Amino acid sequence: MSEFPTENAGWRPPPTIMAISVVMPALEMAQESGKLVAWRKKEGESVTKGETLLEIETDKAVMEIEAPGDGVLAGVKVQEGAVVPVGQTIAWIVRPGEVPPPETSPSESGRRMDAVPARPATASSKIAQTPDMQGGRISPKARRLARERGVDIRSLRGSGPDGAILTEDVLAAAESPQQPSSPKAETLGPVARLMAERTTQSWTTVPHFFVVREIDAGALNQARERLGPAIEKAHGLRPTHTDLLVALLGRVLPKHPRMNASWTGDTIRLNPQVNVAIAMAVEDGVVAAVIPDTDKLEVGAIAVQRRDVTERARAGRLRPADIAGATFTISNLGMYRVDAFSAIITPPQAAILAVGSIADRVVPVTGQPGIRPMMTLTLSCDHRVVDGARAALFLNDLADALREPEKWLR
Amino acid sequence: MPEAVQRELTFAQAVREALAEEMRRDSRVCIFGEDVAEAGTPFKVLSGLVEEFGTERVIDTPISEAGFTGLGVGAAMTGLRPVVDIMFGDFITLTMDQMVNQAAKVHYMSGGKWKVPMVMRTTLGATRRSAAQHSQSLHAWFSHVPGLKVVLPSTPYDAKGLLKTAIRDENPVVFFEDKMMYKLKGPVPAEDYTIPFGVADVKRAGDDITLVATSSMVQVALGAATLLDEVGISAEVIDPRTTWPLDEKTLIESAKKTSRVIVVDEGYGRYGVTAEIASVIAEGAFYDLDAPVKRMGAMHVPIPFSPVLEDVTVPTEHTVFEAARALCRRS
Repeated sequence: MSEFPTENAGWRPPPTIMAISVVMPALEMAQESGKLVAWRKKEGESVTKGETLLEIETDKAVMEIEAPGDGVLAGVKVQEGAVVPVGQTIAWIVRPGEVPPPETSPSESGRRMDAVPARPATASSKIAQTPDMQGGRISPKARRLARERGVDIRSLRGSGPDGAILTEDVLAAAESPQQPSSPKAETLGPVARLMAERTTQSWTTVPHFFVVREIDAGALNQARERLGPAIEKAHGLRPTHTDLLVALLGRVLPKHPRMNASWTGDTIRLNPQVNVAIAMAVEDGVVAAVIPDTDKLEVGAIAVQRRDVTERARAGRLRPADIAGATFTISNLGMYRVDAFSAIITPPQAAILAVGSIADRVVPVTGQPGIRPMMTLTLSCDHRVVDGARAALFLNDLADALREPEKWLR
Repeated sequence: MPEAVQRELTFAQAVREALAEEMRRDSRVCIFGEDVAEAGTPFKVLSGLVEEFGTERVIDTPISEAGFTGLGVGAAMTGLRPVVDIMFGDFITLTMDQMVNQAAKVHYMSGGKWKVPMVMRTTLGATRRSAAQHSQSLHAWFSHVPGLKVVLPSTPYDAKGLLKTAIRDENPVVFFEDKMMYKLKGPVPAEDYTIPFGVADVKRAGDDITLVATSSMVQVALGAATLLDEVGISAEVIDPRTTWPLDEKTLIESAKKTSRVIVVDEGYGRYGVTAEIASVIAEGAFYDLDAPVKRMGAMHVPIPFSPVLEDVTVPTEHTVFEAARALCRRS
């Protein structure tokens, strides 16, 4: 029985179409797709330009997208959770009573990309589960049974005519204890996937070397004690060791432009800004949130910014600006009782500082064994940008700053 | 079927017995047709009836199918229960206006005031070397028309029970007999019994594939099932017995059980009974099918007179067996 599209049978295009397309935005270079996390407005609801319309998750962050114009949200084509190629129209903003244009209408805003395939980013995407097998076929019954019994049909070899997957193949797989899909595979979220890609790229292409220095952290502890109350009064929170270290890096890095530089492939770019990023653990990996213009900020302001980005990172709501433009990264595993570790550089940055825990150690103090709160700093450097001597000089200056933090932070 | 049944009749005898019993039971039942009286039809199905019931109730007509079918429709509307005999199913073409526009419509268009309790008995089936105008199986034509019931008995037992139901029905019924099956023997109870329309019969139970077969093809399917047994494939044979009303439930349930279906019917495959049944199964059992529903019917050609050629135009035990084996094949 044929079904005519009776719904649109009486529709005629209005004389002037005001409909504005809402497209999946490209928020980062090389972004191919975005995941629609949530619609903030419902179909048929009025929106005004600039109001938050939806939330998008990219490789790096979740962000809010504003309505591109005034009107009524209509023709929502993409449901929450879907991964959509950049540039694809996902909804329309129309005048009240107006019907969204037909599918073929070109979008009026947003970047158009030619046939960008949607990456099957998440297992929850229905498209990713569709068993569009290469040349293989599956019977309706086998498909239904596979779904009911949780058999991954992509892992099956069909025994039917032309290799079609039949009921018996699915039942055999369902009963087999070594079902290929049974080992628990963790599906990578955007953060974890990005971490895997970036660390592999860095470790396999950046010539790392490491410089290690033990530091007496007594002065740092004292500075934290002394500065804490005033900062708490002004900003409502006490600075952490990391905040102080970030602030000191902001003071020392301008004296060592190569440590704050970027490898561009054939040249070294000396970055005019000092933007120290703080690596932080989130649910499925690590992100590095940036404190822009670190060299110009007081410890208190750094602490406030650090707290804000930490909260956003934990909530998975980092904005692109929160993670863009870092020139140097610090990674502190002190709270995890790690004595020392080597970190992987985040290209194109030249270096990353790995900070271990502060622990009491017996060390020589003016010729006698003494107990001091010691801390190990490990600097990972890109040998294309800095050499051992430059790294040592930088670490030396940083050690000086840690001996007299309050003088440097004044 | 009652277990005590031992008596065997041929298909033709079963039809004759049903007619005789109904004519004894109800004096309104009468027979119109060509060569139905003394000749007892060319297939000798009606032999003896005119002797018992006389030429008042077993009436030889001129060679005019349109005329005596119209006679039957009028007689039915005015109180008789005629059984109209159309010697070859190919001749139903001549009766179409009476059947399609009159018999099928009268009850509806008179607001229920008139009814047509008439049975048209006719034949189908090839391989009798009767050539293109005497060999067709045109039951799909009537199955297509609302207001007509279409019966396709496949055994002597079904023939007797279904013909009695047809004669007692208040609406026009077309009763197709396979002319090659008249000599087929089978158990038939001597007592009075009827078989309801719209109830399919599982002629043979099986697990691996369902063979839905009608009329002449039921015996073919049963033969194929025996061959399939030898290669380890268990075939279920289902006979819908009436194309309308159609027992969709039994067809779908069997398809769900076996996951594979072949529909075999001697009518032309294109736009035929097999198409309708395959569609019912595809809709009702789609998510339980492991293979496409296969249809087997008469080749889309005028049926040849040449015996060699005629034999290849219709499904046989061996072609059904091969098709079933292919459908169940593992690579």
